[in-house]
Amino acid sequence: MSEGILLFIEQRDGVLNRTSYEAMVAAQRIAAETGDKISAVVLGSGVSNVASDVAKKKVEVVYTVEDGKLAEYTPDGYTAALRRVVEKLNPRYVILSHTYQVRDFAPRLTSALGKSFVPDCIGFRVDGSEVVFTRQIFQGKITTDVRVSAEPPVFASFQAGAYRADLAEAGDAAASVEALQVDLSDVTIRTQPEEKFQEAKQAVDLSQAPLIVAVGRGIKSQENIAIIEELAKALGAEIAASRPICDNEWLPMDRQIGSSGQTVSPKLYLAVGISGAIQHVVGMKNSQTIVAINKDPEAPIFDIADYGIVGDLFEIVPALTGEIRKAKE
Amino acid sequence: MNIVVCLKQVPKKDSILRIAADQKWIDERDLSYEMSEADAYALEEALRQKEKHGGEVIVISLGPERVRQSIKEALAKGADRAIHLNDPAFDQATDAAAIARALAAALKDEKFDLIFTGLQSDDYGFAQVGLILAEQLNLPSATIVMEVQPEQGNVRVKRELESGWFQWVRTPMPALLTIQSGINQLRYATLKGIMAAKKKEIRDVKAADLGLMAEDLKPAQTIERAYLPEKTKRTEMIEGKPAEAAAKLIEKLRFDARVI
Amino acid sequence: MIERETLEMDVLLVGAGPANLSCALHLSKLIEAHNKSAKEAGGKPLDEISIAVIEKAKEIGAHQLSGAVLDPISMKELIPDFENEGAPLEAPVGDEKVYFLTERGKISAPIIPPPLRNHGNYVVSLNRLVRWMGEKCEEAGVNIFPEFPGAHMLYDGETVTGVRTGDKGIDKNGKAKPNFEPGVDIVAKVTVLGEGVRGSLTKQLVDRLNLDRESDPQVYSVGIKELWEVPDDRFPPGSVIHTLGWPLDPHTFGGSWVYGMRDRIIDIGLAVGLDYRDPHLDPHHEFQRFKTHPLIAELLKDGKMVRYGAKAMPVGGWYTMPQMTADGVMIIGDSAGMLNGERLKGIHTAIKAGMLAAETILESLIAGDYSRAKLGAFDKRLKESYIGRELYKTRNFHQAFDKGRMLGLVTAGISTVTGGRLPRRLPIKAGHQHMQKLSTPDGQGKADRYAGLKYDDKLTFNKLTDVYYSSTHHEEDQPSHLKVVDLNICVDRCTAEYGNPCENFCPANVYEMVETGDGNRRLQVNFSNCVHCKTCDIMDPYQIINWVPPEGGGGPNYRNM
Repeated sequence: MSEGILLFIEQRDGVLNRTSYEAMVAAQRIAAETGDKISAVVLGSGVSNVASDVAKKKVEVVYTVEDGKLAEYTPDGYTAALRRVVEKLNPRYVILSHTYQVRDFAPRLTSALGKSFVPDCIGFRVDGSEVVFTRQIFQGKITTDVRVSAEPPVFASFQAGAYRADLAEAGDAAASVEALQVDLSDVTIRTQPEEKFQEAKQAVDLSQAPLIVAVGRGIKSQENIAIIEELAKALGAEIAASRPICDNEWLPMDRQIGSSGQTVSPKLYLAVGISGAIQHVVGMKNSQTIVAINKDPEAPIFDIADYGIVGDLFEIVPALTGEIRKAKE
Repeated sequence: MNIVVCLKQVPKKDSILRIAADQKWIDERDLSYEMSEADAYALEEALRQKEKHGGEVIVISLGPERVRQSIKEALAKGADRAIHLNDPAFDQATDAAAIARALAAALKDEKFDLIFTGLQSDDYGFAQVGLILAEQLNLPSATIVMEVQPEQGNVRVKRELESGWFQWVRTPMPALLTIQSGINQLRYATLKGIMAAKKKEIRDVKAADLGLMAEDLKPAQTIERAYLPEKTKRTEMIEGKPAEAAAKLIEKLRFDARVI
Repeated sequence: MIERETLEMDVLLVGAGPANLSCALHLSKLIEAHNKSAKEAGGKPLDEISIAVIEKAKEIGAHQLSGAVLDPISMKELIPDFENEGAPLEAPVGDEKVYFLTERGKISAPIIPPPLRNHGNYVVSLNRLVRWMGEKCEEAGVNIFPEFPGAHMLYDGETVTGVRTGDKGIDKNGKAKPNFEPGVDIVAKVTVLGEGVRGSLTKQLVDRLNLDRESDPQVYSVGIKELWEVPDDRFPPGSVIHTLGWPLDPHTFGGSWVYGMRDRIIDIGLAVGLDYRDPHLDPHHEFQRFKTHPLIAELLKDGKMVRYGAKAMPVGGWYTMPQMTADGVMIIGDSAGMLNGERLKGIHTAIKAGMLAAETILESLIAGDYSRAKLGAFDKRLKESYIGRELYKTRNFHQAFDKGRMLGLVTAGISTVTGGRLPRRLPIKAGHQHMQKLSTPDGQGKADRYAGLKYDDKLTFNKLTDVYYSSTHHEEDQPSHLKVVDLNICVDRCTAEYGNPCENFCPANVYEMVETGDGNRRLQVNFSNCVHCKTCDIMDPYQIINWVPPEGGGGPNYRNM
């Protein structure tokens, strides 16, 4: 009989990936409705610090799986180890964060187990004893409620930003940390990873940016873009634009958001001097928080904004930049 | 070097989508279709590898008759032959596992060094079919691939990690790679290529040819309801002189929305 | 020097519309029949004849937009069993009404005027019909190449030898990108231009060979159209309404259509003559106003707009048709002005013209003679056919409107009654020459013409929103395909003389006068909004805008239009 929720905790070089706490919120909220207990699992080599951090949260137990074959992430190693963990613990649900690493192994793992995996969820609903997952298709244009008919455990990963990591509940007392013994001696690791490295991307991928300041034709001229750049710099945000700005070559084409540019859903989308033509809105309307600054109170951008300021951007933007700098001091 | 490319045909990116009457899928009437974007890059990468190292590019696609248009496009661009899983029996295969089972059955007797898929499709966006296929065919895999360097018996690939990090990994062939959009520049089909494609083989495969029963193609996930994203937002207008409004906004963003 | 490939074809057709697809399909059938009877009679069959159709759209039908009501007269000849062969017909025309609109009211026509009678016709989507014709052609072995626009005519002396397709992979500065693919020279024994209205190659050819020396300048209308999905069966498939009058002013030719399609779709549009006087006039805005009329607003109530598009049409008729053949080349369909402006129908004439062209081409193939001497049989064939007779009868229709609507209705009425006979051939000038300068009483018009027009995003939409519903897409990094010969004229003369009417007549928000920051203004061309309607090429008062095809595949993606 399957029971409980198993939460996958992602770490790299002993540093916890914060999105695991976002997934934890999802797990805690499911558990609150189903009454399931949550256990967490961390794989790697030398992960006790991560495990004890996680143990401070409201979870039943934190399992660690330590093995030399897990020191460096590989899809073969993680698939084999988690397969054994899941078989041993037999949970009802396995909850993960929809990171690049999870995308690299979880489909293999679920296939090896013959289980079903609902990826990239943004919410859920408990219906009787079942969880119905909410996920978007067609790049966010359509939302779906997905029901799983397969035998448990059912796997689900949650989109970054679907839940707020800081809302992960702390436990009353530290949870126990247990080392799970998993024998990986017969596992062959076929992929050999080299050192990770950072490099500036040739193309700007705004879809990964958590904060975006976007500018539209309200900025009037190329010289004025400077005040937007300052605001973006103060915020630590990427700069983006609506189509007329890129058509004028005031910003490069790869900064364009909308139907002929990129589609983004950052935590914060600050739209300055953008009226909100449908061609632009389809590229950003799924942002978590939208702020609109425009002199026209009738501008359609206000229809989809969380916060709006009607006024002269040439006064408001420098004031905002100042406030942010103050706040960061 | 022989490369299999898995192609999916999806509604065109700029399609105006409407919900079907049964509220379980989109209304498919009067839609235009195209090759899913990442798959188009996977195809392009395969063609470039073939041009460098020789061999054959085989495209495989599951879907109804309309999919032939994308298959023909792939052949016109330079793929050598195609396998089309074209059978109403496949219509029910709507989750990643069911689709991957069908592809695995069709590919198990093919000789190849690499399988490429796009990293995810533009419709369901599961990002799973490739990896499940790899697991079923017992192939090593690498995802979100930005560069492909075949070596003797191995392939070395550059993977994209999060926040500007990358990593090279080496894996023995045959292997399955999921290709990131934008890793190369797509070619255009030429008139000569289109003419030549008319003579290339497109093998129609039915479920029964693969020994697949209805049970094998049954999805474990079903869409219970499809709907347009709900707007629950109420816009909070922030009043006051510029400096005041700016201060209020920053406070809201820090303490209410908690996004900065 | 760019190395170009050459592709040899026997017959090359430019543009996959009803005229050329009809020609290609009919020709392949005629060749088959000819070879069969030649074999039976011991004669010489033709060698394998290669037929190619090139098309600028991403897929067949994607640039096709029409009302449309189809008069099946020629379809019955092309594919006699078209109804059972799966022709996508919405419905036979049922209930028909004609109204003359005033701002709030309507006056019913006591009888349906004969040119607007549609009994026995079908409501169709041209886009669907053409897609189906394309499938029929492919089944018959015709090569169809979407995403390949014709860029230049190829000549040997004054003989047309084929067409060079457009280059692909050129960046916005005109430099080759890494995936550059040069256009191909397709050489053919006969080239058929069926490019639709104001064809860009037709324009080149007619100019070079002076094929319009005996014809009047063509005049055009632009049709603005939306599809609406309504929640009930309030307007059954096959229902037809035509209106005249409001919102158009008495100096503007035009009228509306409302057709019932399947699946609770209402097809609604307004045709506006591109020989209006007031430079402030905006066909898109006129259409938006039209929808606020109680008759229409009620019809669309609780409905949802699902598609938008625009397309010009040639309405000049008989006297505007150019010489349609020259050595190695033919012009058919809307490119040759074969639309009946009185009935606002051009599909049946295009289909018939395609068939007649096919018959002529077969004779040329048999004789091995592709000169004007042989191909010229087409001009005669067309003029003697029922299409020719139909067009001849209405030869004075639009010209009658040259003097304004009221007089025009009377004159056109006389003309209809008398089978086109008027005391004399009416003179005509090009549409853009009717536009009045701001300094003239007519040209002052009303700068506040659309002051009362509000966009509520329910019944009425601004241009940019409408363009979104045309699913228009162009590769962004390419040179603008709207060649404005002299941008200084826009600022130095046009602003003062006409008030930059390009901002008004373009139904897709392509042309915009923008501030340059130093207090000056300049014309910005948002080419990627272009829905390929050709209005700018037609209506620009200085004739400095030249519409050429963009990179293959760009443009609207019409479905069900």
